[in-house]
Amino acid sequence: MSLIHIENLGKHFKVLNRREGLGGAVRDLFSGDYRTVKAVDRISFDIEPGEMVGYIGPNGAGKSTTIKMMTGILKPSDGTIQVNGLAPYENRIRQAQIMGVVFGQRTQLWWDLPVIESFKILKEIYKVDQKTFDDHMGMFNELVGLKALYTQQVRTLSLGQRMLCDITASFLHNPQVVFLDEPTIGLDISIKAKIRSVIQELNRKRKTTIILTTHDLGDVEALCKRIIIIDKGKILYDGNVKQVNALFGAYRTLKLQIDDFTESTLEELHGKFDEHFGTGHGITIAEVEENWTDVTIDQARTHLSDVLSLVMTNFSVYDVRIVEISMETVVRQIYDGALG
Amino acid sequence: MKRYLALTRGNFQVWLAYRFGFFFTIIGNVIYLGVAYYLWSSIYQHANVIHGMTFNETFIYIALGSAIFILLKTYADWIIGNEIREGIIAVYLTKPLDFQLYALFSSLGGILMNLAAISIPTILILTLVFKIQVTMGLGLILFPFSLMLAFLISFCFDYFVGLSAFYTESIWGISITKEIIITVFSGALLPLQFFPDAVQKILLALPFQAIYHTPLMMVTRPNQGWETFGPMLAVQAFWVLALFILTRLFYNQAIKILRISGG
Repeated sequence: MSLIHIENLGKHFKVLNRREGLGGAVRDLFSGDYRTVKAVDRISFDIEPGEMVGYIGPNGAGKSTTIKMMTGILKPSDGTIQVNGLAPYENRIRQAQIMGVVFGQRTQLWWDLPVIESFKILKEIYKVDQKTFDDHMGMFNELVGLKALYTQQVRTLSLGQRMLCDITASFLHNPQVVFLDEPTIGLDISIKAKIRSVIQELNRKRKTTIILTTHDLGDVEALCKRIIIIDKGKILYDGNVKQVNALFGAYRTLKLQIDDFTESTLEELHGKFDEHFGTGHGITIAEVEENWTDVTIDQARTHLSDVLSLVMTNFSVYDVRIVEISMETVVRQIYDGALG
Repeated sequence: MKRYLALTRGNFQVWLAYRFGFFFTIIGNVIYLGVAYYLWSSIYQHANVIHGMTFNETFIYIALGSAIFILLKTYADWIIGNEIREGIIAVYLTKPLDFQLYALFSSLGGILMNLAAISIPTILILTLVFKIQVTMGLGLILFPFSLMLAFLISFCFDYFVGLSAFYTESIWGISITKEIIITVFSGALLPLQFFPDAVQKILLALPFQAIYHTPLMMVTRPNQGWETFGPMLAVQAFWVLALFILTRLFYNQAIKILRISGG
């Protein structure tokens, strides 16, 4: 039996249509002018025990809302949701015992207390016995060197340290499923890698089911076999991460700030690319904001370095950045039929 | 139960982290007691008994009232309100905890800290500096129990105000209103005996008096029997039960509109 079963799940919010200005604010007090927002719109999927699933989408896609329904915080508007055979909202307290949750933007640790005290409180809350607790702490210590942080106040931890503590805390009671909501948000590359390896290790050792929401494709690439992509409350793709990776993993966007940018610069770029790489070079060009031009390259077809040197020799470039493909671009390309 | 006591312990430690604040609260309280002492001694200059209360009784009432006021100040309404407004409540809802009990036992941590750091020093100052005398009696023995019930009632009001954050962006106004209503209607500012008879009758029928008036009467008039104190405790217990059920129902209603910020 699957651990998580979701069928036609929906969540609607009523949002007040706010009016402008002071007069509008006063009228809003008495207003009944609501519109319904479908944050999650009839989605279905199943997750098996031990799976590590990436649940991704752009901001406001409905990721967190789904997580909040799975953890029993929000009540679904319609459809079915079962975790380990029970409806989370109706059995919140009981279900909490088999779940671990990390909200990237909020900590479950006690802000004013030393790290170890939070773990001791969580030990009592989840009724973890002393031996299991000691074993777990030993293992976490091995994984992340937690001991060095024991006596530090949580408020003094860096974001990355805090996240490592939060993640280990969510595994403390050996839950069947752990939800990680944006665990790498705002972190730099090296600490991201550390967090990924910790998550992987915990999943491997404990066989814990992990659901990871993120808008960083790199997280999913590194950790998950399966990926579910959601946008505007609907599932766009549910399947092997390899297929998505093959399509988008090789993409890089070259952000260029070109001196003396004019209308014709884009055309000139187009011309140069066609001339050098022939048709089918797979390069798309767009002017995203003032002075910045995005050149998206499929590295399977054209080398980034070739494009870069071509641009550098032919244009006077003031600034360059190379970024991985954004979630928004992925979603746009899926809409355009990229995944068939 | 043990899982909730861990919250009490944790919050006790949190309050300990802010121990410097207590020093100022004690100083402020001593200044207040000094002012109250001279104010009431001048009121009592021309009469030994006012509204059936002697100076000693009135001063004990006022001074202990202020000690209880500080004891019960755990800012539970602000803390809960903030947790709701900022969406931190989501974190607690993923724990195997009942939210009302979570809030109650967290608040209890603050009570214990207040008791140790402020209320006991205040009582010591009262006995040493102002040389007030308390007569021994049944009321004094029952006082701690009455105080416990008073805390539970006071918590329910804080909890209610905190939960109102589900409906409003800021609980500032509601919290201030609550403070004023409780301070005036409970007899914390002025013994209920000083109110007109008709007003007294109304106030005695409301839950607020069970927070201050009841425990304070047990200390100021301890030489009475069960026939007086029994019903007083029963009324307190009734309000504890009623308010716990009411705030529980309010929570069940409020949680339905929960929208934790960020989709």
